[in-house]
Amino acid sequence: MNYTLQYSVVLQQLPYLLGGALVTLQVAFLSFWLGAVIGLFGAVGKLKGNRLIRGLINAYVVFFTNTPALVQIFFLFYALPDVGILLDPMTAVVIGMTVNTGAYLTEILRGGILSVRRAEIETAEVLGMSHLQSLRYVILPHIAKTLFAPLSNFFVWLVLGSSMAAVFGVEELTGRAINISTANLRTIETFSVVALIYIALTVIASAALALVGRWCFRVTARIF
Amino acid sequence: MPLLEVKNLAASYGALTVLQNVNLSIEKGEVVSLIGSSGSGKSTLLRVLMGLLKPNAGEVRIDGEKVDYGSRSSLKSIRDRMAIVFQQYNLFQNMDVLKNVTIAPVEIKKRPRADVEREAKAILDRVGLSAKLKSYPDQLSGGQQQRVAIARALTLRPEILLLDEVTAALDPELVNEVLDTVRELAAEGITMLIVSHEMGFVREVSTRVVMMDKGQIVESGTPKEIFENPREPRTSAFVSKILRH
Repeated sequence: MNYTLQYSVVLQQLPYLLGGALVTLQVAFLSFWLGAVIGLFGAVGKLKGNRLIRGLINAYVVFFTNTPALVQIFFLFYALPDVGILLDPMTAVVIGMTVNTGAYLTEILRGGILSVRRAEIETAEVLGMSHLQSLRYVILPHIAKTLFAPLSNFFVWLVLGSSMAAVFGVEELTGRAINISTANLRTIETFSVVALIYIALTVIASAALALVGRWCFRVTARIF
Repeated sequence: MPLLEVKNLAASYGALTVLQNVNLSIEKGEVVSLIGSSGSGKSTLLRVLMGLLKPNAGEVRIDGEKVDYGSRSSLKSIRDRMAIVFQQYNLFQNMDVLKNVTIAPVEIKKRPRADVEREAKAILDRVGLSAKLKSYPDQLSGGQQQRVAIARALTLRPEILLLDEVTAALDPELVNEVLDTVRELAAEGITMLIVSHEMGFVREVSTRVVMMDKGQIVESGTPKEIFENPREPRTSAFVSKILRH
C-alpha cells in the first residue's frame, strides 16, 4: 500500500468545513429548543392531562422513540410530497429532529417534574405564589439543576445525530465533507479532519454547558 | 374580637375524617400550643388554616372577616396575614439564604427590594444568621435552615405565625437554638399557633394549651391547668405519658 496522506487539500477547505459545523450547531440548537417546548407540554400533559390527552401523548412518545429518526425524516422529506407537502431539506430535518427530540424530552422532563419535592411546591403556594410563579421560581430551576446532565448529553447527541441531515443534502459538517471528498477523493484525510471537528464541537459544547450549569444552576458538573 | 376564630371546622383526606367540630379562637398576642399524639390532627389544622387542605365544613375568620377557601383572592389575603413554618424547613434549594427570605415580599408582594433586603438582613441578624446571607440551604445545618425558614416567615410580616413541629426534624443539640428564637418571638408579642412535642417549651411559652385527639379538640386551658390539673382523661393520659421521660 503506497498511499500518501495529503492533508493540505483538506485544510485549504477548512473555512468551508467550519461553516458546515456552524450549520450543524444550528440544526442541533433549533431541534433542541423546539423539542424542549414540545417536551415541556408533553410532560405537563402526561402528568396533568385527562385520559385522552395522556393516551395521545403516550402514543406520540412510543411511536417516535421506537422508530429511527432517519426513517421519520425520510417520511417527511419523501412521503409528504405525495400529498402535496413539499419541504426543503433543512426544514424537513429540523422538523423531524424536533419531533423526535420532543418525544425523548417528554419523558426526561416528566421525570424532572416528578423529582420536585411536593413540600417545596406547597411552600411556594403558602408564600402566595401563583402556579406560574411557582413554575418560574421553584419548579423550572429545580428541573434545570436535576436534569442538567441528561439534557447536556442529549444536546451533544443531537450535534452528532444531525449528521443525518447530509443524507437529504443539507450542507452541514458531514454534508460538506461528502462534497469535498467526492471532489478531491481524499476520503481518509477529509473524514479524519471532520471527526476532529466533531470532537472539538462536542468538547466545547460540553464545557460551555458545564460552565452555564455551574454559574446558573449550581450544578457540580465536571468540565472534563 | 379574636384575631383568629375557628368554628365547627371539619376536614378529611378522602373518606378519612381528620378534623371534626374544631372550635378555637386566638386573641392578638396569644401563643397557643396544640398538643396531642401523632395523627391527632394538629398539623392538619394548620394545613387547613393555610388553605393547603380544603375544609368540608365550618368557618374560619380572621379579624372577623370570613375566609373563603374556594376563592383565590381570599386565599391570597389569608396568606398575606398568616405565615407557616414547616417541620422540614422547605427552603428553596436553588436560592441562597437572602433570596429565600426575600423572594416572596419582592417578587410576589412587589415591595421595594432595598427595603425588603434591609429588613431581611435585620431579621436574619436577629436569628443569628447574618454571616450566612450568601449560603445555600445545603451548606447549612438543620437548625440554621429552620431559623432561615422562620426568618422567611417573619419577613412576610404575618399577623399570626404558625409553627408546625419546627424542631421535630432537628438533632437534639440543635433544638434549643430554634426554640430560643421562638421564645424571643413570643416575648415580643407575636401571635403564634404552635404544634410541638417539646412539652417543657410548650409549658414555658404558651399562654394557652389545646389538647387534640382523633381530629377533635379535647380541652384547652392555661399550661398550668393542662399539665397539672387536666380535666379530661385523654389529656391526663397523654400528659403523664409524655412527662414520664
